[in-house]
Amino acid sequence: MNDKTITVTVAKDLEDLIPTFMTNRNKELEALRAALGSGDMEQLRQLGHRMKGVGNSYGFELISILGKQIEDGAKTRDLPGIGARIEEYTDYLARVKIVYE
Amino acid sequence: MSDLASGRAAQQAQSAFRVLVVDDDPDMAGVLARMLTQQGMLADVVADGEAALKMIAAAPPDLVLLDVQMPGPSGFEICRRLKGQEATALLPVVLVTALEDQESRVRGIEAGADDFLSKPVRREELLARVKTLRRLHETRKELERRRLAAEVQRKEEIRKAFARYISPRLAERVLSESRGSEDVFRNLSDRAGVVALFADLRGYTRLSETVPVSSIVPMLNEFFTVLTAAAHDNEGTVFSMAGDSLLVGFNVPVPQPDATGRAVATARVMIQRFAPVAARWKAEYGLSTGIGVGIEAGEVVVGNVGAPSFMSYTIIGDPVNVAARLMQRAEPNEILVGPRASLSLHAMLDGSVPLDRRAVKLKGKAEPVEVVTLKVAPS
Repeated sequence: MNDKTITVTVAKDLEDLIPTFMTNRNKELEALRAALGSGDMEQLRQLGHRMKGVGNSYGFELISILGKQIEDGAKTRDLPGIGARIEEYTDYLARVKIVYE
Repeated sequence: MSDLASGRAAQQAQSAFRVLVVDDDPDMAGVLARMLTQQGMLADVVADGEAALKMIAAAPPDLVLLDVQMPGPSGFEICRRLKGQEATALLPVVLVTALEDQESRVRGIEAGADDFLSKPVRREELLARVKTLRRLHETRKELERRRLAAEVQRKEEIRKAFARYISPRLAERVLSESRGSEDVFRNLSDRAGVVALFADLRGYTRLSETVPVSSIVPMLNEFFTVLTAAAHDNEGTVFSMAGDSLLVGFNVPVPQPDATGRAVATARVMIQRFAPVAARWKAEYGLSTGIGVGIEAGEVVVGNVGAPSFMSYTIIGDPVNVAARLMQRAEPNEILVGPRASLSLHAMLDGSVPLDRRAVKLKGKAEPVEVVTLKVAPS
């Protein structure tokens, strides 16, 4: 984990939606951790599927990439891989900086 | 700009394009709705398929963006239901899905989806697909609007044409029971069992010799107005007016199981309503007038008969001839009912009222025919 910020550019007209979006991503992170802890593959698949769809729709490409990896990992029951992706997601949310234009 | 395009433009100006976004993920639904509203469209959001069906039934949108994986019925199922109902079959549905496999696309096509949009959603792609479907939908709506307008106009023209022959109430019934003008006219050129009623003005010859010519036409108009109103009140069809006589048919162009009863009732009303007119004419000109009526039932040919430049919707056949002959034999304020019509008259009265029967020799008939005489007291 490093401290370098990751800049994401989001369309100006979505600005007022972003606070709720980010709150939901942090809730999603908690849900991912809980599902990983209980080994709930279906829940992990669904959460990954949702991340894949919504992430880059707002401009957060990495969220969609991680979501697809988590969804795929759940299908193959790759718990270590999913754990690594969740850590990566945690790091990303901590460092992401949003620019509107 | 084409005629159709200008129609679409006028329609767009009248109302904003409404999109229903169906997605259980509020972030996804929110971003889709925002992208659409930024383009001047209206967007409603619901979180599941059942809520979507209710909203569509209450206020149909112009397009639906439908998520596939949702709690409850899937997007495929909702799409199938929408496409399976007449009211929503033409409503454009775009399946918005993060499913990448080909099988899901095939399922979407089978469910009737008009288009697909992949998640994550790219704004340009969303707007391009919506724009295309919007244009198609508005063209379809414009065509439908024109079709309905043409249908209304066509029905109005038929109604007006019919209303000259039959009562307005019966004209409406004919139109409402017929799918198209073809059905109506097919029914109007056929063999049919009818009850024919002939009525004429007794004393007309003296009247025409006595009354100034300028008064004859208004008097005849008054006479025919009374008779036509009586026919229409009983849903009879006026087939012809010639000289001082009027031919009315029942059980045509739509079935009337009580056709004989309607014919007799019409004859009575004609005589009763004409009585005050006759009294006024007598006071004015010193002439006695009344109405003679002949009624007969049987099979006739119904149709538009004549030359291409002059057609007449009429009934032709023996019952019409018999009714005409009976009318000629009838005394003023008397109804003569022919043998076939009197059969149902007898059944109608269930034998409870003795009928005045007599044999009458009619012109053109070898044997006398038995008729029922009904006297009507003008009131």
